[in-house]
Amino acid sequence: MKNYGLGIACVLWGALTISSVGAGGIIPDTSSLIFVGKQMGAPVEGRFKHFDVDITFKPTNLAQSHAKIEVDLASIDLASDESETEIKRKSWFNVAVFPKAVFESTAFHALGGDRYEVAGRLSIKGITRDMTVPLQFRTVAGIRVAEGSVVIRRSDFRIGEGVWADPESVAEEVQVRYKMALKP
Amino acid sequence: MNQYKYDTTAITLHWLVALLIVIAFSVGHYMADLDLSPWKLKVFAWHKWVGVTIFGLVLFRMMWRATHVVPPLPAGMSELMRKISGLGHLGIYLLMLAIPLTGWLHSSAAGVTVVYFNVITLPDLVQKNKELSNLFKEVHELLNWTLLGLVILHVVAALKHQFVDKDNLLNRMRW
Repeated sequence: MKNYGLGIACVLWGALTISSVGAGGIIPDTSSLIFVGKQMGAPVEGRFKHFDVDITFKPTNLAQSHAKIEVDLASIDLASDESETEIKRKSWFNVAVFPKAVFESTAFHALGGDRYEVAGRLSIKGITRDMTVPLQFRTVAGIRVAEGSVVIRRSDFRIGEGVWADPESVAEEVQVRYKMALKP
Repeated sequence: MNQYKYDTTAITLHWLVALLIVIAFSVGHYMADLDLSPWKLKVFAWHKWVGVTIFGLVLFRMMWRATHVVPPLPAGMSELMRKISGLGHLGIYLLMLAIPLTGWLHSSAAGVTVVYFNVITLPDLVQKNKELSNLFKEVHELLNWTLLGLVILHVVAALKHQFVDKDNLLNRMRW
């Protein structure tokens, strides 16, 4: 009975801190989609300036919760104009053919408190793979913020082909950090 | 020890830093025009490692110079020439610090952390900002051309002392 009580307390607390989020977008200025890769062993940070988020989140009804993020890959902000041009080319994102990266959730799992795990499918460059993304809600100045990070292996999506496939110059793992300030 | 010579540490540092500057300058000049490729990323990393080495050695050199006796300038030098010599050397020292520093700032602003020899992670001096990064790149290059000018002056002046004034000035920097 003790565990049961704790469970109820968790659900109640969850419901109190995050009531459901209706289908809606994000506040662009306070949201960010940052990634950190490594070149020659040194961290390289970049970000995407434009992305659309559609999220319906009900802590009491996770089965009906849903999230979809569409990233405008051409909006990339990288080290230099030269690297931005390069990464849009065929061997990297090939934005002319595949302008967007899309993540769409298939299931939400509660991890306790404000923490969740979002199972879903990530599509980049015509390749779709299952992915699990951690998600945590925080409330900052009355605004609900969803955030988390996930590591993507660039070879899974053929990001950086040919001479760029060599993981010594550009590492396989890229950490993607998202912070979405949800519209009230 | 001969009072008209620098000490062995100062002489070694002088030539070592000179060699590294020639390497960093040449590599930097070469890599700037390369098309983006894994090779370019490698060369950039090496260039940064040489630059960080120069920065550290120059800091050490300045501390060494501040705590050791510098041999006197040749007796025949005019007051004006002594001033020009002093300013020239001050300029070279400042540039030897400012150039690696602007390179580091350029890299930080580009969002690329400097990891010395792939081992020591240097702090990012500024937040990622592409415009700022481009600005630091320009300044870095401009300071390099300024250094080249001062180094040419430095070498010509040393040769003038050696072969025109015949005051054996080069002996001060010989092991």
